Amino acid sequence: MSREWRAFLLGIIGVPAVLAALLFAVYGAETPAILAKIWLRTPLLLSGSADFSSSTGGFAANILISLWAMAIAAAIGAVLGIGLISQGKLIRIPSEFVMNVLRNSPWLVVLYAMLYLLPFEVTVFGATVFLSPMVKSIVGLALPVTANIAEVFRGGVEAIASGQWESARSLGYRRLQILRHIVVPQALPLMTPNLMTIYAMLFIGTSLVVVTGTSDVISVARTVIGSDGDHIATAVYIFVLLLFFLFSFPIAILTRWLERRVRAR
Amino acid sequence: MSLDYSWLSDGLYQTWLLRGLGTTILMSLLGIVLMLVIGVAGALCLHFRLPVLETLTTVLVELFRNTPPLVQLFFLYFMLSEVGLKLTDPATGRSVPLFSGFTCVVLSLGLYNGAIAVEIIRSGLLAVPSQTVEGARSLGYTRFQTFRHVELPIGFRLSMPAMTNNVVSLIKTSSQAALVAVPDIMYGATQISLETFRNLEVMLLIWILYVALASLAVVILRRLGDVFRIPGYGVQAS
Repeated sequence: MSREWRAFLLGIIGVPAVLAALLFAVYGAETPAILAKIWLRTPLLLSGSADFSSSTGGFAANILISLWAMAIAAAIGAVLGIGLISQGKLIRIPSEFVMNVLRNSPWLVVLYAMLYLLPFEVTVFGATVFLSPMVKSIVGLALPVTANIAEVFRGGVEAIASGQWESARSLGYRRLQILRHIVVPQALPLMTPNLMTIYAMLFIGTSLVVVTGTSDVISVARTVIGSDGDHIATAVYIFVLLLFFLFSFPIAILTRWLERRVRAR
Repeated sequence: MSLDYSWLSDGLYQTWLLRGLGTTILMSLLGIVLMLVIGVAGALCLHFRLPVLETLTTVLVELFRNTPPLVQLFFLYFMLSEVGLKLTDPATGRSVPLFSGFTCVVLSLGLYNGAIAVEIIRSGLLAVPSQTVEGARSLGYTRFQTFRHVELPIGFRLSMPAMTNNVVSLIKTSSQAALVAVPDIMYGATQISLETFRNLEVMLLIWILYVALASLAVVILRRLGDVFRIPGYGVQAS
């Protein structure tokens, strides 16, 4: 892991250093006072509560949203991916259309659209479920990501040699059975680095959920700026940048390492 | 559920949408130019392994790639006003910020997608066949001349498909300009939905417009890629 290890050390030391330099460049001699203020607000930014008593807001909300959105997108994306490699034109062409539309739509617009498209509450089997902004933002983020996952799925399946298909066929497997038992298990390792890249992208995209009214890290940051004054804004955003970086950078490095291993095989 | 699009016949709303579309396109074009400049400059630093600049470029690329463009935008917006770069307007005598929301958006788009472009162009440069580079060197080109006349033109063409994705991503990301009050198409849409309460209809229309814009960009870039393709390099156009 030497090459990635070096890149990791460079990034994990270099980026905070750059951010610290920026902080100092903006605030000068005031920096320690500003840092003390940020330190007071850290629990709020991380968990949405002042003393870590709950973890449904702030940065924790971003992580939660990204995990749920990824799970939903993976499930729907696999179905859409099967549609993309279907032999029937009736399934393939609509799937391709849906994939292209979802892939080319801005996340922010999809989030806004979901905010108004989804009802306030839904009744499933007599039970009324309240759709919170968080649920809506999870759906809104999952939709565009579905397209990316479907494409990765198609790419992974197509990378498996066609001999696998033919021999399974001759053993009497049906198309979906071949996918389920033979092709997908082999394609999964190939797809993993790409899926991780998509997850990192999705995680970065969770910053947009602020528009739906979810109390994510940016809306907490805005509240903090509102109560502590505009003067602190730059420092708060530097801190949020650092949070996002610390979470997604290790994923990026791990992805590169996996990618190299997959390619070496 | 019925969709009501009667508001669309209002002249004022049409003006807002069209002006917003213009702003979005202008912003995206400027962003693309900045992205390419940053991409080529960064790739040059990495390619020639310039002593300090290589490390700095790597760190900055990691920073911009692994953080949300929205936070970068807010950060730029607040930092530049905090630093207080101001110009005095000679006509009115008022001091106006040197960096408006529009400039901040172009800067943040250029930086975020530029960081991705650095990696794209670099992998394009790595994909240039070594025989071609050696051929240029043996003809007496200096290292920089080889880069300028051989490696960059070919590497750039090889990175066209990835660059297309990056441009689409840039256009999509530009929608967040509305959050710093730049009157782009998204901003116009939120204004209209505030006045008409036709939130869903407005957002669906904007969605279609963005998809059309992004698809148009894809078509144009594919055409460009085909026109400038050097026979024998890269994937055959089918």
